[in-house]
Amino acid sequence: MRDITKVRNIGISAHIDSGKTTLTERILFYTQRIHAIHEVRGKDGVGAKMDSMELERERGITICSAATYCDWKDHAINIIDTPGHVDFTIEVERALRVLDGAVLILCSVGGVQSQSITVNRQMTRYRVPRVAFINKCDRTGANPDRVIKQLREKLGLNAVPIQVPMGLEGEMQGLIDLVRMKAVYFDGENGDKIREEEIPAQYQEECDIKREEMLDAVSMFSDELMEAVLEGTPTEEMIMAAIRKGTLALEFTPVMMGTAYKNKGVQLLLDAVVSYLPCPTDVENFALDLDHEEAEVKVSNISSDPLLALAFKLEDGRYGQLTYVRTYQGTLKKGDSIVNVRTGKKAKVGRLVRMHSDDMEEIDEAGAGDIVALFGIDCASGDTFTSGGDYNFSMTSMHVPAPVISLSITPIDNKAQDNMSKALNRFTKEDPTFKTYVDAETMETIISGMGELHLDVYVERMKREYKAEVTVGAPQVAYRETITQRADFNYTHKKQTGGSGQFGRVAGFIEPLEEGEYEFVDQIVGGSVPREYIPSCDKGFQKCLDKGALVGAHVTGVRCAINDGASHAVDSSDIAFQLAAMGGFKEAYMKAKPVIMEPIMKVAVEGPTEFQGSIMGSLNQRRGMIIGTNEEDAYTVIEAEVPLSEMFGYSTDLRSLTQGKAEFTMEFATYRQVPKSVAEELIAKALKNKK
Amino acid sequence: MQKQDLIEKNPIRNLKGESDAKESSRMGLVMARAGLGKTALLVQIALDSLLNDKQVVHVSVGQSLDKTKLWYDDMFKDLAEGCKLNNAGEIHDSIMHNRMIITFNESKFSLAKLEERLHDLVQQNVIKPSCMVVDGFDFAQTGRAVLEGMRELAKTMDLQIWFSAVCDEGAGSQAGVPAPCNGMEDLFNTVVLLQPVPESDCIDLKIIKGSAAVSKCGKLLKLDPRTFMIRADCK
Repeated sequence: MRDITKVRNIGISAHIDSGKTTLTERILFYTQRIHAIHEVRGKDGVGAKMDSMELERERGITICSAATYCDWKDHAINIIDTPGHVDFTIEVERALRVLDGAVLILCSVGGVQSQSITVNRQMTRYRVPRVAFINKCDRTGANPDRVIKQLREKLGLNAVPIQVPMGLEGEMQGLIDLVRMKAVYFDGENGDKIREEEIPAQYQEECDIKREEMLDAVSMFSDELMEAVLEGTPTEEMIMAAIRKGTLALEFTPVMMGTAYKNKGVQLLLDAVVSYLPCPTDVENFALDLDHEEAEVKVSNISSDPLLALAFKLEDGRYGQLTYVRTYQGTLKKGDSIVNVRTGKKAKVGRLVRMHSDDMEEIDEAGAGDIVALFGIDCASGDTFTSGGDYNFSMTSMHVPAPVISLSITPIDNKAQDNMSKALNRFTKEDPTFKTYVDAETMETIISGMGELHLDVYVERMKREYKAEVTVGAPQVAYRETITQRADFNYTHKKQTGGSGQFGRVAGFIEPLEEGEYEFVDQIVGGSVPREYIPSCDKGFQKCLDKGALVGAHVTGVRCAINDGASHAVDSSDIAFQLAAMGGFKEAYMKAKPVIMEPIMKVAVEGPTEFQGSIMGSLNQRRGMIIGTNEEDAYTVIEAEVPLSEMFGYSTDLRSLTQGKAEFTMEFATYRQVPKSVAEELIAKALKNKK
Repeated sequence: MQKQDLIEKNPIRNLKGESDAKESSRMGLVMARAGLGKTALLVQIALDSLLNDKQVVHVSVGQSLDKTKLWYDDMFKDLAEGCKLNNAGEIHDSIMHNRMIITFNESKFSLAKLEERLHDLVQQNVIKPSCMVVDGFDFAQTGRAVLEGMRELAKTMDLQIWFSAVCDEGAGSQAGVPAPCNGMEDLFNTVVLLQPVPESDCIDLKIIKGSAAVSKCGKLLKLDPRTFMIRADCK
């Protein structure tokens, strides 16, 4: 079995157009996973950019498949695809869970852009150590020093260069490694022949200064190095150990540079990944103990312990359904039986493969910390597998946030209909926050999720990947209803005129429930409602929850209690008591002062300070509550809580308000009661729709 | 209990000046060593203004927005639960509209920037604060001139400003305002030092300058070390 300290699970994160695809491609080339370099730009070279998805399809490989494996100098590197958007909270969370470290790619001209800020913030939240790579140093206007300054100021990273470029823009010849004090050239047509030489005289002075700075910064992490620096005898090993220590503690970010397009610096980046980014045992991962209210337990990373593995991505490839899993503890062996903690179902590990860029390798087992793919396992992404028994742990919380927005989709023809259901079936498996159902009244297919963009992307994917053209309805916000006070009911359902009669009387009350959606309380004493009909009452109440009487939204936070009733020896039945309970609920509901709740989003707008006023104005207009601002040089981040219903089309508005200089992100925060005026409007609208 | 009772029962009133008329253009200072509840006290001062339907700007140096917001949510919850407030959620939502948090990185804070921001906010009609609390202001690094500027700001914008400052362990044993704020006491109307009381479970609010914070029964105010709430009941 592979030595776990020689495994690196890394993500590559980048702002659009900073060269993620090119870099990934070069990495695969130098690690001999692919044997020729294809350019992202088309032959005409005028900027016919292809995005990675199309590129992937054209070449029939998955460069950015969920996980790609490659070898570099005796180490195994798993490159995990990291989605860029915050809208997919769960998906981002999952990708960040399985990585141990990351490479932050920045464009030497564009520098730190707002998406980098968001991704960086998330990585800090999940404590992902990272190294930075300043790409495109061959571009006109390249300025790595400015990018490093931005890394420090905008991202708050202790970013220190460990390389000096020999020339920039068109004149870039190679790099100087400040750790070893060597000039490195990348010869050959594809830059695959590395030549090391002494530092050219004209760079000597600059390198001495930069090395001094680097040593100052890293000696903070090692007393040994500190002493050696004072004595003037720091060794390569000492410096590398100190850089590694600082990087793992997230207190130091080594900065490398180069240009993937011109084949410079990629091999050194790979060296850095191996030297400075953590192996699975260097980072702490936690599992949730389901027997003890999801308490956090540290995973052991030992291959001989019971199995704990997380399915983080499903892929529908040429070979059928692939499930990507990361093992955190224990060993995944071919032929073993494993248990899906969510469903409790047992499954047998059939084929176990390691994914390479364009082929796969069958393996027999995968130890702790590894990333592999399974065939023929029925599960959803985010599921945890264990070796079974009473080993009841989960890698992710079982709590899935309820969707806050929905859309109706209609396929344009029969073929699209088939493809659409195939697509929906897959998406719901992949993403637990994406849900779909058919509205019983309008017979429309409804998809629901965590935000406008979230659904947009799935609609787009349906078109692209499944060729399912659909027309999309206007987005609907998922309102909810809840009650604010206790109300009693006493309802008799009676239909005893001809035929078999129906009779049931229930009395009790409904009251607000602080936590949870619904609770049923049976307070019947003396058998006024026969035992067998009590579940019928429960069922009756639950039927009422689907559509509240105010605006037809889902009702939550209700405790229904029954304490009295009556039955008839012949005419009482299951359905009679269900109807009685429904009648009782309806009787009490309006008395219980129901209110409408709406999803509130946490919105963060980043933009130049001069637009602060107009941004705040635009948020205020949308019933937003501004929480505050955070000042960062010329940039300001404004955070606010805004009702989702007011956020439609905000990106267009924001763009025109700020000349396209501001960007915003939003995620679901909570449900809150809608103000009176809005509630009246909603009720009037619901009434109109009923008619 | 109603909102009005909450306002009246809040013992913090005594600290903020005898009456509302005198409340504006004052400066106050809360000092303590780390971990005794400076921020909590500032938030309670801010909450009192909010409950009086006044607008508050909270300037936080070196702390994130989320963290600061959490302070408010927690303190409000404690306050509301402590006196069994009806419709707490509604009141919370309505008063928090009047609060604005501005955060700065430690190195980015400057008086000029803050002044500019405040003027912007007022001009753009976003908020017109009558109280500002400044948490994390570095007294050791800033000179007297900055505080004089603040004093001026308080006057021109008709603001009450409260600061927090960290002092060294053991401060307060000698008379006067402890370092790093010694020599600046003339700029403040009120200076409060938080001090743990040995062998007891509370934190004293020692008034170094200004009207004594005497609660109704005539004793000194104390903080509850569990919640950092000012105690209404005097034992």
